[in-house]
Formats: sequence, C-alpha cells, structure tokens
Amino acid sequence: MKFRHVWIVFRKEIKDLLRDKKTIISSFLVPMILIPVIFLFVGGGAQKMEKDISENITIALSQNSNTADIRKIVEDGIIKHNTNIKLINVDNPIDAVKQEKVRLVLEFDADYAQKLKNDKPFTVKIYYDKSKNKSDGAVSILTDAINQYNQQIVGQRLTALGLSPDILQPAKVEETNVAEPGKSGNPTLVMILPMMLGLLVTIGGIAAATDIVAGEKERNTFEPLLTTKPSRLSILTGKYLTVTLFSFISVISTGIGYVIGYMINPNSLTMGASDGIGGFSLPLVATILVFITTILMGMTFSAVQIAISTFARSFREAQTYLSFLIFVALIPGYATMFMQPGDVQTYMYAVPILNTISAFKMVLGGNINYLNLVIALATSVIYVILSIMFAASLFKKEKVLFRS
Amino acid sequence: MLKVSNITKSFESITAVNNISFEVRKGEIFGLLGENGAGKTTTLRMLATMLKPTSGTAELCGYDVINEPEKVRSHIGILFGGETGLYDRLTAAENIAYFGELNDMSKSEIKERISQLTRIFDMDEYINKKAGKFSKGMKQKVAFARSIVHNPDIMLFDEPTSGLDVTAILEVHKFILDCRQQNKTIVLSSHIMSEVEKLCDRIGIIHKGVLVASGTIEELKKTYGKDSLEEVFIELVGDRNEI
Ligand SMILES: Nc1ncnc2c1ncn2[C@@H]1O[C@H](COP(=O)(O)OP(=O)(O)O)[C@@H](O)[C@H]1O
Ligand SMILES: [Mg+2]
Repeated sequence: MKFRHVWIVFRKEIKDLLRDKKTIISSFLVPMILIPVIFLFVGGGAQKMEKDISENITIALSQNSNTADIRKIVEDGIIKHNTNIKLINVDNPIDAVKQEKVRLVLEFDADYAQKLKNDKPFTVKIYYDKSKNKSDGAVSILTDAINQYNQQIVGQRLTALGLSPDILQPAKVEETNVAEPGKSGNPTLVMILPMMLGLLVTIGGIAAATDIVAGEKERNTFEPLLTTKPSRLSILTGKYLTVTLFSFISVISTGIGYVIGYMINPNSLTMGASDGIGGFSLPLVATILVFITTILMGMTFSAVQIAISTFARSFREAQTYLSFLIFVALIPGYATMFMQPGDVQTYMYAVPILNTISAFKMVLGGNINYLNLVIALATSVIYVILSIMFAASLFKKEKVLFRS
Repeated sequence: MLKVSNITKSFESITAVNNISFEVRKGEIFGLLGENGAGKTTTLRMLATMLKPTSGTAELCGYDVINEPEKVRSHIGILFGGETGLYDRLTAAENIAYFGELNDMSKSEIKERISQLTRIFDMDEYINKKAGKFSKGMKQKVAFARSIVHNPDIMLFDEPTSGLDVTAILEVHKFILDCRQQNKTIVLSSHIMSEVEKLCDRIGIIHKGVLVASGTIEELKKTYGKDSLEEVFIELVGDRNEI
C-alpha cells in the first residue's frame, strides 16, 4: 500500500461525490435542515400542547347546578386564584364538552348547601371527555383547585372551633438538591442524542459506499481502475477513507443542524419535554473518549458498508442491503432509548453499536465509570480491525470482485 | 515482450483457461480468436493481473504477473469491451488525468499528455466538460485516451468492438492500428473472424480454455489445408465439439 496512491484515490472520490446531488443532499442537507425542522416541529408541538392544556381552561356548570350560589362558590372559592380557569355559561353543558366549547362541567350535589352547613362532605362531579387531550388534562387542574378550596374551608372550620390549621400538618417537607451543579444530566438528551448519533453515523456513509464500489462496478470503470499501478489495498483504503469521511460529515452536519435548531428555539433539542440543555457540563476526558468511540463506530460501519457494496452484484442490490443496515443501527438505538445511564448493563459496553450508545449515555448522564468507558473503547477498536479485515478480504476475492 | 507460459485458471468447477502458452513480439498484434466462453476474458484478466493464475505464469515487459503485478500494471493499457465506463461527474480531462496520476505521472507530464491526446483524438470541444452528457463516440475517444495516457508498451483489448455500431467499430480498429504504429505490443481478443483477419499479425485459436492452434493466418491455412480462416476455425472448433 502506498500513501500516495491512497491519497489520489481519496481525492478523486471526494471530488466525484461532491458533484453528486444525491450524496450532497443525504450527507449534508438532510441532517442540517431536516433535523432541526423535525425537532422544532415536534418540540414546538409538545410545548404548544402543554401550554394549550394549562391555559384558557373554560368550565361550565351542569343545568341543575347552574345557580347563583354555586357560581359564587366556584368563582370566589375554587377558581379565584386560578386566573387560567374561566367559568362560562352554555346551553347544553355535556354537548359543550363533546364539542370542546368547554373543557369540563361541574355538578354539585343537589343538597350541597345543607351538607356544607352541617360540615358533611358533598360531591362535585366532573364531567369530561377522556378522548380529548385538553379536557382530560383539565381534570387534574380542577382537582387541584378544589383541593385548595377544601383547605380553605377546613381552615375556616378549625378557626371556628378555636384551633390552628397547623394541627393538620405535623411535618413539613422541604427539598434540597445535593447533586453537584451540572451533574444531574438531562434525561431527554440522554434518550435522544445517542440514538440519533448512532443512526447518523450509519446513514452518513451509505450513499458514498454504494457509489464507490457497486456504482463503480456498474459503470464499468472498475476493471480499468484495477489495472492501474496501485495495489488493490491502496484503492480500497482510498475508498474506505472516503466513506468514513462522509459518515463524519453527516454527523457534523447534524451537529450544525442541532445548533441551528437551538438558536431558533433552545427548547427544541429536548422536544420541549424538559428545560433545554442549559446547566450541564461534560467532563473533558470522558467526552474525548466517547468521541473517539463514536469515530471508531463510524470507521466500523464504513468498512461494513464498503464490504457490502463490494459484495453486491449491482448498484440496486447494494442500496437494498445497505438500507437494511439502517435497521441494524436503529434496533439497539430504539431498544435502549428509554434507558437511563444507570440502567445500562456492563455487557452492553462490549456489544457493537450498543457500546457507543451506552458510553454516550453515560457521559451525558454525568456519572462516569471509566472502566466501562475503556471497555467500550477497546471493543470498538477490535470491531474496527475486524470489519476492515473483512472488507479487505472481500476486496481481494476474485469470486466477489468479478461476478455478475 | 509478452510471454505466456502454461497459464491455467480454474474456477470451482471449470477450467476456464487450460495450459495456454504464446508469445507476442514488440509492435505485433496477436489475436485471440474464440467463441463465447472460450476463456478469452479470463486470459486477458490474468495478463492484466486482475486474476491470479492457478498455475503457469506470464511475463510482460520482463515482469512476472504473479511476483511483480504493480510493475506489470504500469506497463499495460486495457480497453475491455462493452459499455465504455467513465466517471460521469468528472470532465474528460479529469477522467484521463486520474489514470495518469494512478500510474505515477507528474502533474506537468499529465498536462502535456492530455493536450497531446486532445489533439490526437480531436477532443478540444469537450475536453473540459463532464463525461455524463457525452455521446457514445465522445466517450469512446476519452476511453482510448485514458487507456494510453501513461504511454504503455503493451495494450490489451478484450472484444473491444462488441456492441458497437459500424463507425465506432472502425474507430476502434483505427486506434488499434495506431497503437501498432507506435510499436506497442498488442493482444486483441475477438470472436469476429473478419476483425482478426483485418488486424492481427498472428492469431491463436482458443476453444474451451485450450489454445488449439496458433500462427499467422497463412500458416494456419497451410497447416490445415483450408482456403480461409473461417474454415480453419470450423475445422478446429467443430472437431472438438464432436468429441
Ligand atoms: N469469475 C468467474 N467465476 C466462475 N466462472 C467464471 C468466472 N469468469 C469466467 N468464468 C467461466 O470461465 C469460462 C471462460 O469465460 P471467459 O473467459 O469470460 O470467456 P470469453 O471471454 O472467451 O467469452 C466460462 O465458462 C465462464 O463461465
Ligand atoms: Mg469475454
């Protein structure tokens, strides 16, 4: 293998691929534009939904309960401190819930006044529509409001008996977070980032890998190429490095996509489910190690992709095989998506793909176990070597190279 | 210049090339005449070091295909039949330059050579355009230029006219004769009698992997007592078929 030859092949492949719209779109534009768009869309949607549920809650009273006295209890007792809740008048309360004119309807016991006066409990029925998110979400908000009202009445009753409301609360609860600042991690990021990364490292090189061997065979340029001076290993290495570069480029493009998304809306990265990514820091050494592990995973996948592209009888066949590879990367990503760093088992740090995802989760989680990190790194090195050896052996096989 | 010694290639179940030997002198065109599946492509692939011989060997420009494949490759140019393959997203010049670079030519050598080839093949109009939109004729010229960019001593043509129309065939013939003019050593495989008769100085008839006869056309006619190459071919190949 001569470095000069590797470099010539590498440079030509890059030039060639950069002129291909398909490759540009799938490696650069898709991650850079589509990812923030998806995140903003989904994240914005989730935020909007949360807002919709907690704001502009309209309620009504059932026909029987719609009396001036009850209105007064509701308006002055229950929803007085909840400015987001409004009591309105509707003709047909139950239908109004179904038609989403009001979120829910309250019905008081007919003899509620009697019971209230005699210190007996009365019932407030809540009619809501479970099939409607907003209606469903309003129930707990109203329940909280009614509890507040209860406490208020209890206070009044105790005071009337000459007792302090404090007797109902022997112990108070106070919370203090002792985690070092920045060490609590971000559960949503821990869920999403490793999976996305694993997926993108896989997808990034596919277009290049398909084009570079199966495509070259199909275009009849492969035989002339093989009869030039460079050894087969030099040619393979040049092509391999190209695929590796492309898989990283798409990871970097994704990073840029994330930054763009973050600049438009800081909450979009966590899909609006958490409080953004502020306030957590990454330990340097661990971050570098996990970064190297990710690079190694990219290198492994690139070799596997080159091998598949070499093995395929046609461009189409290569595309088909390589799209299966996406699933291979997706499965461990999805399977562990909801796993938090503490749930990751030690063996997972040795399984291909899973090792990178696990290491990444751990670093994002903030609780670093360096032994596990080293396991992930060492196994990744082994997988790179194995995959490159596999690709090289295929590339040397006459039976594979010259079949049709 | 080119010496093939008892070369054999077996794939799992078949012996595609069986103990073939021949020699080609400098400035000579040697024709490998044989039907489909006779073993022509396999033979040429072994000469081009794409396939490793199962046994036997060949020497090109004094270099052994098994022990010095890189040296061999830097002295050969190939034009293998079928659809002409170019990198569509590269210009004609870039296509040619790539093969020059791969054969260890310097930037200035390549530049000079390309302008020379552009003149020879009359490619001025499109030398800096992307190959993807070229007509078949244009592509063919770029492929010619690419195959000789490094000025190889030996040219290997594997059924170079298969699937081409008449004008394109004539272009290929002219290119092959030009190569001989430049004193290159040429091996041409074909299944077309007239092509071989027109171009080759000596021929070898290959059948089921075996070189059943070789010599000049006159010699072959005399040896087998026939008036035409066609009859010689039928005699040899037909005979074998009956066995
Ligand atoms: N890579 C290969 N694997 C197995 N058999 C092959 C391979 N290449 C060629 N053959 C077989 O070898 C024989 C000679 O093929 P080939 O050299 O292509 O003949 P020709 O070029 O004269 O048509 C044929 O029977 C063909 O099927
Ligand atoms: Mg053939």
